Amino acid sequence: MFQALKNFYHKLGSFPWFYKISGKVIPIVGFFSILLIVISSIWGLFFSPTDAVQGDVYRIIYFHVPAVSVSQVIYYSMSVAAGVFLIWRMKMAGVYIKSLAPIGAAFTFIGLLSGAIWGQPTWGTWWVWDARLTSTLVLFLFYLAIIGMQSTFASRKSADTAVSIITLVGVVNLPIVKKSVDWWNTLHQPASISISGESSISSEMLIPLLLSILGIYLFVFFTGLLFMRAEISSREQNKEWFKKLSSNN
Amino acid sequence: MIYLIKILKKEFLIYSRKSSSFISPVVFFLISISLYPIGISNDPDILKNLAPGLIWITVLLSTLISFQNIFSEDYEDGSIELLLASRQNLSLIVLVKIFVNWIFSCLPIIILSVSSVFLLYFPQEGLKPLIISLLIGTPTICLFGALAGALSLGKNSITGPALMLPLSLPVLILGTQAINYSLNGINFSSNILLLTAILVFLLPIILFASVGALKLHFN
Repeated sequence: MFQALKNFYHKLGSFPWFYKISGKVIPIVGFFSILLIVISSIWGLFFSPTDAVQGDVYRIIYFHVPAVSVSQVIYYSMSVAAGVFLIWRMKMAGVYIKSLAPIGAAFTFIGLLSGAIWGQPTWGTWWVWDARLTSTLVLFLFYLAIIGMQSTFASRKSADTAVSIITLVGVVNLPIVKKSVDWWNTLHQPASISISGESSISSEMLIPLLLSILGIYLFVFFTGLLFMRAEISSREQNKEWFKKLSSNN
Repeated sequence: MIYLIKILKKEFLIYSRKSSSFISPVVFFLISISLYPIGISNDPDILKNLAPGLIWITVLLSTLISFQNIFSEDYEDGSIELLLASRQNLSLIVLVKIFVNWIFSCLPIIILSVSSVFLLYFPQEGLKPLIISLLIGTPTICLFGALAGALSLGKNSITGPALMLPLSLPVLILGTQAINYSLNGINFSSNILLLTAILVFLLPIILFASVGALKLHFN
């Protein structure tokens, strides 16, 4: 088991292997992610019950929660990749960070935007300087700094290292930001779903929500693979294996 | 140890000979502090409430003027390259450089922030938490500045400030909160302890990260 995992990890570092496998995986993942998003949207928007307090407005939860949760997961996964890059100099980790940063920034933005649209009718305001909103905004700024850093270095390797350093410093700082804004101000409702404890959301709403979360995660997987393939083909366009591959097609 | 003392002396000499390095943050600080009453209101009650935040934000922004100084000249004249080649402990050298930069760019501002008592009607009993929180909070900001400066060496871009300001957010929150707490009669020592904890926790991490960032420029 451990040996298989180790083999998989080493294979993951190889661009040709990844390019080959991802080409096969992408259509399947893409199909299921779109399917799940369509199902959960229809279920959430038309068939799940209306909320007793918030009315129909709450239905934006089926976009808001997946977007915000995936935006944090992407950041933490990027920081793991940053560690891998700095320790083992695995080129694939650099590709991963560069490809996933714009996706993470996009989902953080979607989360902020859908939150504003949700906040307008329920809190009566588009934006409040609440703890969770602020830490999500800071997350967005970190993403922007990471994306901005990509273009300041001439060599690809230096840019990847610089971005990895920023990502790691950011991940150390993010819990501090979270905690400090928590003490500062909180208006946001506490999380409705908990893995360990009882969820405070009815199961008729929970199932489409979980489906939409799964759909968005698969969608990120799908777009992430696409972006990584594009990045690999731009980095490796002069390599032998890539020329051979493109001449075959 | 001897090389550290030599570098410390050299840094002191450079900063003291180049007066703009410590005059420009001070001038920036004084100008902005005197702009607030004109731009916002000259009502003492309004200014008094805003003063803690205004002072902290101005200190944060005035460090933006000086954070490029930490490495940029050494980078341009090539002495960073020599330090990298010297096989000495780079993190300690970086620490010395940050320390001297803090003495020349932050310490004058901290002393000058006392002037807010006259300019912003800042209550005198708030001076103690103001000075303490600035003394403990600004080194952390200088650390972030060193990292941002090391990463954006030789480039005049927004990436340095864009990296440094979001990182400084916890320090800003805890610093202003300490002052507001003490003005409302609440014990503010927990905030000061947290600021110290952040400083001690981030110090080794940022030093390593800055050294890594410096090495990037010389492959």
